[in-house]
Amino acid sequence: MAAQFLPQTSPGAEVTYFEATINGAPITGRSDETILTCARRYGVYIPTLCELADIDHTPGTCRVCLVEIRTDGSAKTHLVTACTTPMQAGLEIRTRTPEVREKQRLQVELLLADHDQDCATCIRHGRCDLQDVAQFVGLRQNRFVDPARVAMRPIDDSSPALIRNMKRCIRCQRCIAMCRDGQGIDALIQVGYGLDTAVGLRHGLTQKNSACVTCGQCVLVCPTGALGERDETDRALDMMYDPELVTVVQFAPAVRVGFGEEFGLPPGTNVEGQIITALRKLGADIVLDTNFGADLVIMEEGTELLHRLAHRKRPTFSSCCPAWVNFAERHCPDILPLLSTTKSPQQCVGTLAKTYLPEKMGIDPARIRVISIMPCTAKKDEIARRQLIHDGVPEVDVVLTTREFARLLRREGIDLKTLEPSTFDNPYMSEYTGAGAIFGTTGGVMEAAVRTMYYIVNGRELETVELQQLRGFEGVRTATVDLGGAVGEVKVAMCHGLKPTRQIVEAVRAGTADFDFIEIMACPGGCVDGGGSLRSKKQYLPHALKRRETLFGIDQKRALRQSHNNRQVQALYRDFLGAPNSEKAHALLHTWYTDRKIEMDQTVREIWADIRMTGKVY
Amino acid sequence: MTEIVYGVWDGIIYDNRAGRSAADDRPVPPTLAKPPTLANFESFDNGNRIRAFFGDRGFFIFDAGVGLIDALWRQMAEAAEQSCGKCTPCRMGTVLVRDALDALRRGNAARLGLDELETLAEQMTATSMCGLGQTCARPLLAALRHFRDVVEGELKRGPRPEPHGLTYMTAPCIEACPSRINVPRYIDFIRDGKPEHSLGVILQKYPMAATCGRVCVRFCEMACRRKFVDEAVGIKTLKRYVADQQKGAHALTFGRELIAHPLSQDMRVAVVGAGPAGLSCAYHLLLHGYRVDILEAMGEAGGMAAIGIPSYRLPKDVLRSETEIIAELGGRFLFNHALGRDFSIDDLFARGYRAVFLALGCQQGSRLGVAGEDPSLAGYKPGIAFLLDVHDHVAGTRTIELSGDVVVVGGGNVAMDCARSALRMGADTVHVVYRRTREDMPADADEVAAAEAEGIIFHYLANPVRIVAEGGRITGVELIAMRQTAPDGRGRRNVEAAPGTETVLPCTTLIAAIGQQINRDVLKPEDGIALDRWNCIAVDPVDLATSRPGVFAGGDCASGPSTLIHAMANGLKATRSIDDWIRLGYVRFRPRSRMRALLNDNRMLADDAVEVPVKPQYRVHHPELDPNVRTQMFEEVEQTISAEEAYREAKRCMRCYRIYSVITEQPIPEGA
Repeated sequence: MAAQFLPQTSPGAEVTYFEATINGAPITGRSDETILTCARRYGVYIPTLCELADIDHTPGTCRVCLVEIRTDGSAKTHLVTACTTPMQAGLEIRTRTPEVREKQRLQVELLLADHDQDCATCIRHGRCDLQDVAQFVGLRQNRFVDPARVAMRPIDDSSPALIRNMKRCIRCQRCIAMCRDGQGIDALIQVGYGLDTAVGLRHGLTQKNSACVTCGQCVLVCPTGALGERDETDRALDMMYDPELVTVVQFAPAVRVGFGEEFGLPPGTNVEGQIITALRKLGADIVLDTNFGADLVIMEEGTELLHRLAHRKRPTFSSCCPAWVNFAERHCPDILPLLSTTKSPQQCVGTLAKTYLPEKMGIDPARIRVISIMPCTAKKDEIARRQLIHDGVPEVDVVLTTREFARLLRREGIDLKTLEPSTFDNPYMSEYTGAGAIFGTTGGVMEAAVRTMYYIVNGRELETVELQQLRGFEGVRTATVDLGGAVGEVKVAMCHGLKPTRQIVEAVRAGTADFDFIEIMACPGGCVDGGGSLRSKKQYLPHALKRRETLFGIDQKRALRQSHNNRQVQALYRDFLGAPNSEKAHALLHTWYTDRKIEMDQTVREIWADIRMTGKVY
Repeated sequence: MTEIVYGVWDGIIYDNRAGRSAADDRPVPPTLAKPPTLANFESFDNGNRIRAFFGDRGFFIFDAGVGLIDALWRQMAEAAEQSCGKCTPCRMGTVLVRDALDALRRGNAARLGLDELETLAEQMTATSMCGLGQTCARPLLAALRHFRDVVEGELKRGPRPEPHGLTYMTAPCIEACPSRINVPRYIDFIRDGKPEHSLGVILQKYPMAATCGRVCVRFCEMACRRKFVDEAVGIKTLKRYVADQQKGAHALTFGRELIAHPLSQDMRVAVVGAGPAGLSCAYHLLLHGYRVDILEAMGEAGGMAAIGIPSYRLPKDVLRSETEIIAELGGRFLFNHALGRDFSIDDLFARGYRAVFLALGCQQGSRLGVAGEDPSLAGYKPGIAFLLDVHDHVAGTRTIELSGDVVVVGGGNVAMDCARSALRMGADTVHVVYRRTREDMPADADEVAAAEAEGIIFHYLANPVRIVAEGGRITGVELIAMRQTAPDGRGRRNVEAAPGTETVLPCTTLIAAIGQQINRDVLKPEDGIALDRWNCIAVDPVDLATSRPGVFAGGDCASGPSTLIHAMANGLKATRSIDDWIRLGYVRFRPRSRMRALLNDNRMLADDAVEVPVKPQYRVHHPELDPNVRTQMFEEVEQTISAEEAYREAKRCMRCYRIYSVITEQPIPEGA
């Protein structure tokens, strides 16, 4: 998808076409493709496991995609992996010989020899690439498995967000590729040798204390259940079933457009109404919309930004993405003073659900539990931030990813597709405008902010509500927007994915970036493809644009399309907060950041102790 | 003559067992001809008979009593130990097969039968990702296919006494490197995301990784099998990458805690010369726990790396940070201490040093030997002397003026360094005169290309015959054209002068860079150090011992002008000898060196071509400064590659590991 995944081509090599055969049938091969891509072009299926074409990942480690080849003029045949072997003129390829099938089958059997056998307890059960491939190769026995070997493999459950279970890892290295090449974080590395080979964190750190920013993109590419979020469906159920508690559930802008396919609806379907119905069936007492929080964030962040512009402080970075905040704190703490202090929409809703809402509804705040449904793994990390816990009471109690929410519905026997849609009914915190809705996609925060800032500066609405110049899909987009009045033109940038983010941060550090406001979303595409969204098999972000389209469609159909026109937001300021950036607003809706950079001092002695090789001198 | 009792090598079956012939009960393969001549195979060490040999292409049994299962288990145990664990068949196959063979050799029940073992061996051989997995099961496969009766017989008879032997894993790049750096391992660590571990592998062999990553002549890359696919892996580039990561406040630290077993104060060794050989030896002696003083004639450390390599290739601060490692480990530099002027070897022993390592280098330039050659002529410079001038100029200790036309005679790296430096020093034009063709030049091809890019004019097949001077100043050099003679019996073509082709190339400076020798006035007869017929220090190539007990020598002074990596390898070799000599009074047998000799003498490590198509991925190149800019200055021309480029380059390594083992009659003596 994104440019960073484009395959590398040889310098100056021109594509040539030539004749070859697959299973005896003549085909035309290309000099720039592998046997696997060619076979796929011709509809010939070859089982694969570690390979992931969408991110140009062909590590060749699983060795399942074996084919038999005979090169032109050679008498000998060879077995090769289709994913790594280039096409060649005159190549005879056979994909289904008895030997090929037998060796593919044995490969999968070997993969299972130190793999967790409790498939039924795995979050990926039934949707697992390894199970699929075992079925494809016709595996009917599992001779080599040894529970002692499985027991040796580690589980890292230190993080509030991500769990890394190496008992289910097939060493495909997709997560490493995603972390290294996709997101440019490079926190995940290969550790150990031989059977101990696993994925670990740089410098032997735990997930929690490492350079990982919990964006969760690694989870989206994991073919098995080795990577996943911390499952909190039971905690959510406990809360909803506890009659003493008032459960408040909010869900993010992107969840409603990235959930329907789980229940057989077309990708990108807006299932907002069905989600509300489902939550009520589950026993949620109050259903709120994170979109309301998004509108509120625009009021706070927009005001803050205009204030900073007036004081010539630039640029300002958005702060609603927790993986981005982690990135700033872990990787480039020197830019923290440039981050907006406004909390994320989730935290704004959480805070108000325990202050404003109980005041309005006459509920004891101590009985309230806030559950968020988010397309995000970093949101789980966010609620555990000490800045967002007050006297032991967190602003948000539980975050469920979109995946966990799907699991929850299945556990409760709810089929979303059959539900009648219903609407929000909370009179205080559930209304949203089109501006809030588009928060879930790259550029949405910027567009929403511009709509409101224009109004604040000029006292009238923008003539063209939709800012097409902000709506591209490149990793870094820049635009100049005329806010009119005393402010005039502002230079803005929008970034999605952490690799482009690092580029823009470097440019800001170097003084070569000339921007007033920079929107960052850590996940490529923004929240619609967040690390907590539904997984796809053998695909990476297949539904990004569909989901984005639906969000823009929601915006288009809203009567109110600017955050400042949200009547419930207006009431909140009138009845409770006073004005945007007021003292009370500051106390409740703003936060601060700390330097959490990982820097390791290592000695040669430590490194030597960790090296295993023959001929080692010391 | 070593008799093969039975075995399989390169698919050819040998079977000379008593009462059986190859024609016995199996079809005779058409290639079954005379057995291969195995050189140097009679004994491993001093009468210790080699009973069997296992390798990547098969195995030979010389003694029918050898336990085949046990030997195969040894081979597989090493493979399992060394498996990188990335691809399925090798990761799991090596472990399953090893455990099963282990049970069988002990007479226990194994989880796998012989058929299953054969299937797994086939799977590993046919489907593994790298050379280790593809080759480690070949002897097992050959044994199970062709000598299953032997295996079954052993199973019936029960366990045998544990044999003696040695297992050795290597790769073409490792064998090509004088320091035997474990190249695939350090490339693996980059791929894994652990550059500091990668550096750790290099630091096992010498301290000067950033230096070597800049100036090494790359024997490893010449041996790299990736060249059969596209180009050799950029091994040197990757080495520089990992070394250059260690900068600033969070760089890897050395320090005395690295020394596992510090020895007492009186365990002192003197290293004479702070060049690459001396530094490497000091480093290893310090790590062995010795107290080390390095006596250096110059005022700084680095030797030829400091004066002989211009700063545009090796910045002074890079070298300094690596020579400082010696001080961090507790080594003491005694600068401006010259052997022959300030002290003698007798003095060193009198001062209580237990042993001496001579790493004196070769600093005296060789003469051209042509008419009119007079070193006192203005404008005449030996290559090394010129590079020393340049060094002092860049260091700011002396100002050297250079202008006009410069002619450099020679085709080695020193000649390239002189030519490229002369350009930077202000020469109007720089010519290189070399008596053979461009292809014959011993200089690194990259250096030649860089010199060409910078505008240096090359005259191939040309040789000086007379130096032209006026009033004590050089004004030109008379050249004669050379022509290639017909190829000799070994296909080599010599050159001969073509009479009547003399021309004069005008110049103001002539740099003779055709070679260097050891400085004559350093060693005195009373030092008791014998020289060889090339006037280098005579040493035993195995242990680097000189004619005087307790004195060892290495680097250029023992071998004649050679490479940085060769000098550093000598440093480690000398350390092992010195350590043995001090502790035991003699130098021990070196099993791994012996194994290498065995492989080398019999060309065991086949330079076999890559038979299946591999996706071409051309190697990364250093970002370089523009040639027009760089001829004006001594800043480093090549820059470090990015992490992204390093990851990509590291993925090009095919890991051509091979495992070899011998089974011997007696235990193999321990030694470094």
